[in-house]
Amino acid sequence: MKKILLFICFVFTLSACENLFFEKDLATTEPLENFDFLWNEVDKKYSYFELKNINWNEIKNKYRPMLSQNSTDEELFEVLASMLNELRDDHTNLASPFNISFYNIMLKNPKNYNQRTIDEYYTKNVWHTGAFSHDFLNDNNIGYIRYGSFMYDFSDSQLDFILKRYINTKGLIIDMRENGGGSVFNVPQILSRFTQTKTLVGYSITRNGPKHNDFSKRESFYVTPYSGLKYLKPVIILIDRGSYSATTFFALATKALPNITLMGDTTGGGGGLPNGGILPNGWRYRFSVSQLLDINGDNYAEDGVPPDIQAEFDWSDITKDEIIESAILEINK
Amino acid sequence: MQNNTKKFNFFLMILICSYFNYKAISNESDNNQFAQINSGTNHYLQFGIGGSGSLLRDYATSPLFYDGIGLNTHTAWLRRSDERERLFEIGFAGIGYQARIPENQLIQPYSTAVLGQFNLRYLQLWKIKKWSNDLYNVKVGGALQTTQNIRTNFDLGNAGFGIENISNLMASGQVTRDISRTKSKELDLWFFKPILKPVKRDIRFQMNLGILNLNYRPGYAYVYDSEIIGIETDILSWIFANYKWSLNGYRINTELEYITYLPNGNARSWSYIWDIANAPGKYETFQMASHQIRYTYYFHTKKS
Repeated sequence: MKKILLFICFVFTLSACENLFFEKDLATTEPLENFDFLWNEVDKKYSYFELKNINWNEIKNKYRPMLSQNSTDEELFEVLASMLNELRDDHTNLASPFNISFYNIMLKNPKNYNQRTIDEYYTKNVWHTGAFSHDFLNDNNIGYIRYGSFMYDFSDSQLDFILKRYINTKGLIIDMRENGGGSVFNVPQILSRFTQTKTLVGYSITRNGPKHNDFSKRESFYVTPYSGLKYLKPVIILIDRGSYSATTFFALATKALPNITLMGDTTGGGGGLPNGGILPNGWRYRFSVSQLLDINGDNYAEDGVPPDIQAEFDWSDITKDEIIESAILEINK
Repeated sequence: MQNNTKKFNFFLMILICSYFNYKAISNESDNNQFAQINSGTNHYLQFGIGGSGSLLRDYATSPLFYDGIGLNTHTAWLRRSDERERLFEIGFAGIGYQARIPENQLIQPYSTAVLGQFNLRYLQLWKIKKWSNDLYNVKVGGALQTTQNIRTNFDLGNAGFGIENISNLMASGQVTRDISRTKSKELDLWFFKPILKPVKRDIRFQMNLGILNLNYRPGYAYVYDSEIIGIETDILSWIFANYKWSLNGYRINTELEYITYLPNGNARSWSYIWDIANAPGKYETFQMASHQIRYTYYFHTKKS
């Protein structure tokens, strides 16, 4: 029995030694090691250095000297967040338990959306169907549909119900102002109702190597027609600087669909798919690793997709939404 | 973690030793079973349940180790004779993990992950007569093992899913030591003097060492904007579009099993299983290791 117990001890001792097989634990709160880790991750994988003309080595030289081994957590957060904000990208954040960093492109531009104006003066008999709020405008000639976030999923039946309700209108206004994005798969689900043919609407490319211009081959993005109810009359999409991420994706895709017009302000951007990771001190980060391209291969969408018709909200009179008014005029032309 | 591992192993040892002592006192058997078990080929259907302590690290998303506690189950078909052994095993484990994060100055961050793990293993062993005798049976052979992990970690956003596969062709060796009690024995425990009857018992140690180590890991950027074909996009092909097979890394697993045979031909066992895998992939390494204590019941289904 003694021999058996000795043998068991031997096996336990041997097999508990993961440390012999794996590299050392890299967890650390040391500020400079965390700075270097994050800087390297961004250097290896961020996707818009060239479009935004960012010299990442200069950024390192600017921010690293602000830290030392004795820097506090707050100081480390401030430096890392400032470094990430140099990317001018709202898909780039640092999240610690005491603060989260944002670039916040929406606040750097004029606001063009006021929910209260719409609720009080336009959609007095609003219906809520899943993720959508909707009502008739302009003596029941136009349908107004508000989709506030691509985070919210919806069913085909819900879309069927809404389109059936407005099938006899002259046109639709889909309001995506301040829609900050969400699931990219909701983009083709909506657009599939506004086309009769399979249409190439854009591409994406993803970082696949250590050089800042190392990218994968282009991946196509197609919109395919829905087999059931479709709406093929004019559709106007309202956008602004708060229309971000999946909404920028949506806006870019509409450029290839002739019956859809973009109106309002340029979208906020966010064409890159953000990854996610954790620093050696346990804080979380994310940043864009891919680029969104239009059908000509241009990557301007990261800086925003411009509207086909520019319109602005006039805050001197909040009883009126000038962007909705412009959309009504456009449909009634 | 080293301290935690030592504590865990100490606890496991206590558990196993207690079981050995308990079985020594309570087992009953008769001599006929010895001959039955040692002859011919015995077919068993196994069901097992276990608890595990494990750790993993995926450099693609974090340099941190994650420590986990899980529940393991398995079922297996085993054909065992003195000369040869064949096993086909299906296993599932559900494991909860917490990141090993150093102490922060202000508020302590935490990160959790959940892993569902599917295992398939086929093993075939042949006796090496030269190294075997009445007490020891030495077998060598090979095993095919595949492990599919499905991990979720909501702190990682779009990189929150980890779906790696680790598949290995392994060289296997097994030593079985017959530790049967062949004669009745009386224990002297002061006022209590139980008689221990003969019982067929084995202690078995098996080691599997990866020879060909394959892993299926994400691409360079981990998350990937793949082709979208409207509403017909297949989500699975979208997720796996940039995954790549690589032939690298290593895998080792060991199993120490204490088996007691019952008079009806069934058996039951306690095992300690250690498994370690390192999968560098094409770009960034995934590592995992686990320690498992497992109870297995063998249903004797056939003799040939």
